[in-house]
Amino acid sequence: MNTISTICAASMLLMATAARADYAAPRTAAGEPDLQGVWTNATITPVERMNFFPQLVLTKPQADMLEQRTREFAERGSAPTDPDAPPPEAGDDVGGYNSFWIDAGTTVALVNGEYRSSLITSPADGKLPYTPAAQAKRVQLLMSIRDGLDGPEQRPLGERCLVGFGSTSGPPMLPVLYNNNYQIVQAPGSVMILAEMNHDARIVRIGGEHPPTDVRTWMGDSIGHWEGDTLVVETTNFHPAQSMRACIRYQIYMSANATVTERFTRVAHDQILYQFTVDDAEAFSEPWSGEIPMRASEGPIYEYACHEGNYSLPGILAGARREARTTDEGAE
Amino acid sequence: MKFTDRKLPTLIVLALGILVVPTATFAHHAFTAEFDGDAPVLLRGKVTRVEWINPHAWVHLDAVQEDGTTVAWMVEGGTPNTLLRAGINKNSLVPGTEIVVRGYQSKDHACTPSCKANGRDVTFPDGRKIFMGSSGTGAPRDGADPREPPRT
Repeated sequence: MNTISTICAASMLLMATAARADYAAPRTAAGEPDLQGVWTNATITPVERMNFFPQLVLTKPQADMLEQRTREFAERGSAPTDPDAPPPEAGDDVGGYNSFWIDAGTTVALVNGEYRSSLITSPADGKLPYTPAAQAKRVQLLMSIRDGLDGPEQRPLGERCLVGFGSTSGPPMLPVLYNNNYQIVQAPGSVMILAEMNHDARIVRIGGEHPPTDVRTWMGDSIGHWEGDTLVVETTNFHPAQSMRACIRYQIYMSANATVTERFTRVAHDQILYQFTVDDAEAFSEPWSGEIPMRASEGPIYEYACHEGNYSLPGILAGARREARTTDEGAE
Repeated sequence: MKFTDRKLPTLIVLALGILVVPTATFAHHAFTAEFDGDAPVLLRGKVTRVEWINPHAWVHLDAVQEDGTTVAWMVEGGTPNTLLRAGINKNSLVPGTEIVVRGYQSKDHACTPSCKANGRDVTFPDGRKIFMGSSGTGAPRDGADPREPPRT
């Protein structure tokens, strides 16, 4: 890189930093920083670091290449099918549905002017620092999802429409394949965060205290306070059934005794910087942290009335019953 | 690793959770738990109605048999929320439209009130996808489906 371009790059970085430092978030009627609106955390940056990009920060050409690949795959998914194509093959992966149903983001996460290779910023390698016991527990829980077909209670929470799948409603709130949209509403003493999944609304009590540890709720218990213009939210008292946060993009195990600290800072009129740390000595050898840009979304939030149309759950259980009958008949 | 490495595109796909084939194996639920990999279907017929519901939309059609009679099928899609954002609504696929479905029958093989299949690929008769306009990424067969052996 020559001197001029170095100076230009340094100037742009300074300008980007200055823009954030100079930005003053609008205020609510109560005088608090205004985080309200509809936001999206959709991004192609994965939660954990990609092996072939060991550094947290990608170069612009690397980020451009990843976004170009994403566009190419989307175009391929939208391409016409050969009208004379046969049915899919028996014994193949059943797949799911066409890509037009998916909305997982098209851009690399851009934080403080840096293109990120992972949402995790710490540990330095960008990987989840599981203890061996927690890794074993994680595998056991994944296998129980595969094999637990006796009744609805054994099925994952997302499949039962109790909580959004993966860690979409969190905390920490991590993007999944679609509906990566959130609405924030502030009222005196409260901040409400609604995920576009299963009507998951988290009420953060400003200045509140956690209930006794035997009170366990979906998405845990969230209390918050303001540090300057940053909303700091601390969540504990997770429900044990929410320890497995599984989706296609990641399968994260956290113990019910984890503490998650989130920081919401409005860094521009169209962006909130979302930072989080998971403190969970039962599952991880050290705390892990991440950063995700929450960009202004073209609202509104749409309803996700999951129970009403959940034909999948009875279908899955009925399928298991039929498989058992077939196995029994084969044995006789 | 250099960008010229032939393996890189595949690695990127696997790491980012981006589309390899136009399917998603696990979203709200595991498709491998609901559909029978040994029962592929190819359906052709007219749409009778579309259920624009969550967590998954269902496209109903009368699939034409070899003898000319029809059988009612319903085909699973994804969340209609994504389509709404892409400007697609319940008037975008109307009854009477001819479609072609390639997918797999439900594991329960139940056909009351309709036989069920996943809509692994749903097109018009000329091969065009029935919907366009999504930002479109999907899921690879990367072992992330909990029905598959987990990654350790």
